[in-house]
Amino acid sequence: MRRTARLLTGATGLTGLTGAALAVATAGLLAAPPAYAAESRGPSAGSLEVYPSSVAPGSQVTANTDACGDDDTAAGDASAVGAGRFTLAPSTHERDAIGQFQVPPGAQPGRYEIVATCAGSGRRVAGDLLVTLTPEAQLVHPRGSVKTGVGGALGTDPVETAAGVTALAVAAAGGTWLLHRRARGDGI
Amino acid sequence: MKRRRFHRAGRSGNAAIAAVTVFALCAGTWLLRDGTGAHPPPQPSAAEAHTGDDRSAGGSPVPALPPSPPLRVRIPAIDVDAPLTGLGLTATGSLDVPPADVANLAGWYEAGTTPGERGTAIVAGHVDNAEGPAVFYSLGALRKGSTVEVDRRDGGVAVFTVDAVEVYDAEDFPDTRVYGAADRPELRVITCGGGWSRTTGYRGNVVVYAHLTGSR
Repeated sequence: MRRTARLLTGATGLTGLTGAALAVATAGLLAAPPAYAAESRGPSAGSLEVYPSSVAPGSQVTANTDACGDDDTAAGDASAVGAGRFTLAPSTHERDAIGQFQVPPGAQPGRYEIVATCAGSGRRVAGDLLVTLTPEAQLVHPRGSVKTGVGGALGTDPVETAAGVTALAVAAAGGTWLLHRRARGDGI
Repeated sequence: MKRRRFHRAGRSGNAAIAAVTVFALCAGTWLLRDGTGAHPPPQPSAAEAHTGDDRSAGGSPVPALPPSPPLRVRIPAIDVDAPLTGLGLTATGSLDVPPADVANLAGWYEAGTTPGERGTAIVAGHVDNAEGPAVFYSLGALRKGSTVEVDRRDGGVAVFTVDAVEVYDAEDFPDTRVYGAADRPELRVITCGGGWSRTTGYRGNVVVYAHLTGSR
């Protein structure tokens, strides 16, 4: 159903100057960017999330998935875009396996399917990567502040609170019992 | 005789119970205070801000490295060791951020300078996410002279020394100072900060300024 261009299968060796030259050549041929260039990020649960989902040739891409379960690695395959195989290792974030690969400098614009297979379960997940040609000549600086937090560190910690209540209950029970024994004159 | 033995056992039992009671009281009080209190991320003090002679501060600059994309960032002073993902810009021109659900992941502005290259390289990461502290939670506690290391794809490590740690309001963000070009290899590490409120979230950003002082 998904129309995935496999433009560069088997072209892993195209790197360096050859790749750059090819990129320049294709830049001339494909001056108009693909119509789907502005599409949003890929889906999340149970699939392979590719980030960023739209990149220029030569860029580094991170792929992560929560489909493989705890402590399970996955074998990533980015050969569709000419980046070969890579490994997704379990991360500190629960259930997520993360891996990275580099889109070859000579990759042609198009949509490529990146797949990963869980080492344990053998489950296969896929996500799309869009390669676009962007002019690298002038550097565009970001503007303004960065949204890098939601305040999740400021809330209360329910686990710690529950443990505290439990500990205080134990202290109350112990204190009551000691007072009780003292009242009975049991040698305190 | 029998009764005395019982008494002795009772005494040591009482002592154990008393000890447990005292311990549970202390632990419970601490846990409750810690668990119900707010934990705002640390913010830089005025002493960490830029001064007139930053350029000479903390380690002398070294020649720039050739461009190579970064793979990981490490800040030993605050126990940061995280992979880097590429970042672009949002529709409004601000720096995009890494996926928030991955706590230990930072990003770098991949259309800009690579860390170690001449110019200003930019690294950003979350201070927290919905579940709690994230990769740059302690960034505001960094001091001048601290080290930031960046692993590069060419196998090298770019070592930066912190010049200043500042905090800015989103309303009054000094774009040129933070993102502008530099004539030596520099690095910015950015996260959220500047106070938090339920309605507006974090008020601004903590920005770490560093320059290249070594490589290996």
